[in-house]
Parts: sequence; C-alpha cells; structure tokens
Amino acid sequence: MSGRVLIVDDEQEIRRALKTGLGYQGFEVRAVATGEEALAEVGAWHPDVVLLDLGLPGLDGFEVLRRMPGKNRVAVMVVSVMPGEKDKVRALDLGADDYLVKPFGIQELSARIRAVLRRQAAVGDGRPVIRARDLEVDLEHRRVSVGGRTLHLTPTEYEVLRQLAIHAGKPVTHTMLLREVWGEYAIGDRYNTRYVITQLRKKLGDDPARPRYISTEPGVGYRLEAD
Amino acid sequence: MRELKGLALALSGVAVITAFIGLVRPWLDVPSLAVSYVLLVLWVGSASGRLRAILVALVAFLTYEFFFVPPYGTLLISAPKDVLNLLVLLAAAVLGGTLAAWLREARMTAQKAALTAETLYAVAVSALKAPLVSESLDAVVAAAARISGIESMTLLDERGEETLAGPELPARERERARWAVREGQPLGIRLRDGQVDFFRTAGAESEHSFLPLGAGVIAVHLSSQPISPADSRLLAALLALGALLLDRRKSELESDRMRELEASDRLKAAVLSSISHELKSPLASLRAGLSTLALSAAGLKEDERAIVEGLDRQTDRLNRLVGDLLTMSRLESGLPLEKQSVSVAELVGSALRELQPTLAPFKVVVDVADDLPPIEADESQMHLVIGNLLANAAEWTQPGGQIEVGAAFRQGIVSVWVQNQGEHIRPVDLDRVFDKFWSRRERGSGLGLAISKRVLDAHGGTIRAENRRAGPRFTFTLPATQILTTT
Repeated sequence: MSGRVLIVDDEQEIRRALKTGLGYQGFEVRAVATGEEALAEVGAWHPDVVLLDLGLPGLDGFEVLRRMPGKNRVAVMVVSVMPGEKDKVRALDLGADDYLVKPFGIQELSARIRAVLRRQAAVGDGRPVIRARDLEVDLEHRRVSVGGRTLHLTPTEYEVLRQLAIHAGKPVTHTMLLREVWGEYAIGDRYNTRYVITQLRKKLGDDPARPRYISTEPGVGYRLEAD
Repeated sequence: MRELKGLALALSGVAVITAFIGLVRPWLDVPSLAVSYVLLVLWVGSASGRLRAILVALVAFLTYEFFFVPPYGTLLISAPKDVLNLLVLLAAAVLGGTLAAWLREARMTAQKAALTAETLYAVAVSALKAPLVSESLDAVVAAAARISGIESMTLLDERGEETLAGPELPARERERARWAVREGQPLGIRLRDGQVDFFRTAGAESEHSFLPLGAGVIAVHLSSQPISPADSRLLAALLALGALLLDRRKSELESDRMRELEASDRLKAAVLSSISHELKSPLASLRAGLSTLALSAAGLKEDERAIVEGLDRQTDRLNRLVGDLLTMSRLESGLPLEKQSVSVAELVGSALRELQPTLAPFKVVVDVADDLPPIEADESQMHLVIGNLLANAAEWTQPGGQIEVGAAFRQGIVSVWVQNQGEHIRPVDLDRVFDKFWSRRERGSGLGLAISKRVLDAHGGTIRAENRRAGPRFTFTLPATQILTTT
C-alpha cells in the first residue's frame, strides 16, 4: 500500500530521515518545516496522511489541526516528544486520527501510517458493517452481533458502540463520546461513559483486563480494536 | 477640690432657701415652703449623686427644725403635728434625692454604653473596609490606646516574634510573649464571658499582659489608673475583634503561600517539559535516522546494518533512561497528582496492550477479580506502575515462561500483583530493589521500581517484593474509593 505523506517538523534531521525512510517504505513523501507551509501543501498537494509535530514554532500543531481543510479526507497523525494525556486528548478532540510519541523507529511509524490509511479507506467505502474479530456492528440495520448471536443493546449502549465502530481502530476520547451521545451539556461527566462502557463490555462478554473488542486508553478514552 | 466646691454650693443653697423662708414666713404658710428644700435636694441628687443628696437633705432638715419649728432656735419639737411634718419632709427629700441620683447614674451608664458601641462600631467598620488587614490591626490598637487605664496595645504574630501593630516591645517583654505562645498560657489577662479579667502573675514584675491566640498574641500595657467596668467590656470586645483580624491575616498569608506554590508548580512543570523536549528531540532524530539506515532498502552491507541496528537499540535504551529520569524528577518535584476514579481492570488491560511486543514471548495469565471497586488515583501514573512491573517481570522471566498479573479486593484495600518466574531476590535485597539506581543487572536504569514506589507513596499506598515458590512477586495496595460504582 502506498500513499502521500506530508511530514511537518521543524527539525531538519527528522525531516530528512523520515522523508528518506518513508520513501524506502514505498510512500510518496514531502516535508515542510512550518504550520503555514503545511496548510498550503494540504491545499495544493492533497496528501493522504499528515504527520504533524505539535511543537512547531509560530503556528503550532493544534492551530494547524484547527485550520486543516477537509478534515474528513486528510488523516492527521500527531507526533510529539510530550507524552502528556492532555495534549493527546486535545489533538484527538481537534480531529487528529492518531498520535505517536517521539522518538520512534521508522518501522513503527510506517505500520501506524498504514493502519491509518486502511482505516481511512474503510471509512471512505462507507462500509455499513464494521467488524472487530467476531463482533459485527451493522450500522444500516442497527444490528449488533457477537459470533453470529444478536445482542440486545439499549439505545445509549448502541450509540456509544456506533461511535467507537465508525472510528474503529482509533482512540475516541471521553469528550467525543459525551458530545456525540449525550450532547454538549454532558461534557466533563465521565461517569456516563464509564457506566455505559461497563455495561457494553458485559453484554459483549469482554474483560476490561484482557479486552478483545473495547480497549482503554488511560486518561484518553476508548478504542474499538479493528481488524 | 471640685467635690468640696459642689458641697459648698449645695450648703449655701440651703442657707439661701432658709433666708428666703425666713423673709416670706410672716405672710405665708410655713410647711408648704419647706418643699423648696426638696427641690434643692433633687437638683443635688441629679448633679452629684445619692450620698450628697442625703447629706444635703439632713442639713436642710436640721436647719428647718432649728429655725422654723417651735420652740425656735433649738432642735426641740413642741407640737406632735410638726414631728409628722418634719418626717414627711425628710422622707421626701431623701427619696427624691435618691431617685434623682439613680436617674443620673442610668443616664451616665447609657452614655458610656453608647460610647463603647460607637467606638467598637467605628473600629469594626474600618477593620472590615480596610483592604489591608494591617490597617485594621492599627485601628484596633489605636482604639485600645484611647481607653483610660491602658497605655498601649501591641499585636504580635503567632510565634510572638513579629510586631504587627502597636509599639514595639522591649526584648524582655518579647521573651514573655514567646513564652505565652509556647505554653499556650495567658499572662496577666484573660477573657471570660465577654469580660476582661486581669490577674497577677508570679515571677518578674511586668507592665504587659499577654493573651496568646491561635493566630497571634495580644500584649496589653496597663497604666496605673484602674479600668472602669464599661471600658473593660470595650477592651474585651477589642480583644475579640483583634483575634478575628489576626485570624484573617493568617488565612490571607496562607492563601498567598498557596498561590506562590501553584506558581512554582507551574514553573517546575514548564522547566521539566522544556528539559524533556531538549533531551528527547535529538534522540528522536537519531532513532529516525538510524532506523532508516537499518532498512534493507538503504543498501548497507550486512555487517554495517548490524552496527546501525545496534546503535538504534542503544538509542532506544538511552531514551528510556532519559524518560525514567524525567519521570523521577517530576515525581520528586512534588507536582500535584491528578486523581480520579480509576478502574484497575482497565489499567491492567491497557498496560498489557501497550507492552504487547515485550510480553509476546511469555505466557501471560490474568487474574483480576470481577468485583473490584474503583481506586482514587492519577491514571497515567498508575498505568506507569503496572507497566514497570510487567516490564520488570518480562526482563527476569525466560522466554516461554509465565507472567501472572492479578488484582483482588479485601477489607477496603485493592491489591495488584505481578508474579514472574525469574530467580529469587536475596532476602536482604527485598527492600533495596525499590532504591533509586539500584539494579540487579547492569542493563537496567534502576529506576522503574523506584518510580513505582514513589508513585505509591504519593498515593498513600504500599508496594513490596516477596519470593514465592515460582519466583519473585511484586504487590502494591491502594485504598478503594468509598463510593461504590459498577466500574
């Protein structure tokens, strides 16, 4: 699988190494040093994935995310030397698709980029049925089954699972879940998501200590493990 | 002197009235004229008090008897009717004088009370309005100094060291103030039911009395004059107000300190994140470059590639060491925890997921109880602890061996353990494994377990190592959250 990757990083060494490395891995790569250039390239070159460093001088990564046009088509993978949960959550809430903590090896990076591209392709297809192992979420018929056995979910449980399913493979923050399922007023009340996820896991037969379907991202949110 | 003048005036009043009665007596009925004396006694009573009024009443009675009751010129009485007249006159004079004197006292008390209330009101208003508590303290001290019988008042801080308002105390008196603070004992002055109670203290003679309070000490310097009961009440109220203001000063100082602490926490966090950025950025470039060169597409010869791969692994190790050091300094800098309700099962799940590549060569057994209540903890720090324990277990277990992770809830305590099949830890080292930079192997940073211990300490939990038959086991405990939820 190949795709267009735009690298946005102010460190020249990183730009050079990643450009070469991703090129070896079969990607079409361009690299820029500032947020302004990144936005211009996104508009002109239409990359599939933007590798965005959060700590840019001038227009920082968060601001670039906010101004990114057509967020639905360009996947953004955020990278940062700061592994702080707050930054992760903020970037994901601003529409980032994934995050990666620096330093990382080129193999790990290309694997993550491929996963993002696969996910993007799946969403692009508008697939009505989303699968994770033997879990099937049929978005068209609002039907959920595990190993062929249909589950009876409450409307809220279904909504939460649907949100995780349409972002399958990607971490969904507490804030995103609360906003989409309960509405703006519920943001900040993590007890809601906690409770519904617990109920969902029980019905799916999922063990939070050994999750097969829904995994926890500490301090961030939840993720439906995609195939 | 004034007393004598008043008495002379009252007695000359008696003489004038007597002369007046003598003049008009030939034309008027005498007994009714005697009422003039009563008027005089009333005046004396209201102006000078009860005793003076009774004295004047007696003098007037004798004068009248001497001059106008037959036989004249003697203190004898001939007619029984006159005895009655005289007694009525005396009774009226004494009663009237007493009544007038009582009214006078009531009026004076009311005036004093009004003055006390006014003083207190003025001080309290200025104390509440003043933006700086030091101004309010000055107002209390100034009001106290206006009380007759009090030379000055001095307010000191809670250690009896710093003078906050009023005149500076001499060294010897400051020593007594500190003693009062240390012992929590008042010296020479007490507050009792809204009244000030002065008492003599044994030992050195001192002009000052000391009242230690929670947030400061009040020193009162008495003059030789006695303090009236009304002033004593005023003083008691001022002392109470002073105590309140000292409390306010103390809590203001504390909130200032909190603000400073928060600012220094922000600074510490900023410095740490800046250092972390500076240290990690070059490592990020190194890893990106080395891992790229190690790709077969880079076209290096096999032995060259081995070198580059080795360098990449070393860089990764250096990165983990730097990460551990930064985590350790973050913990040691005492930055506040971000506690929230956390599910242990979820923590175990996410740590296992993150360490999947590391744990792949082992058989991992998970034994987390279903009924675990949530714990109150900093989620990312607890995640770090479980991750450290799992990584440690992976380091000591032979590939293909078993690593067990479990959690249970008993008597309000959640305990989590990680068991590996590595060699036993020497009994003397069971505690030392949590020391900073102590490692059984040269490869380890010696920080993973030390970091875990710091995290547990900060959470009020415990962590210990023990040797089980299969191998070493690390267990940490935390109190469960009180509120029971379904998580």
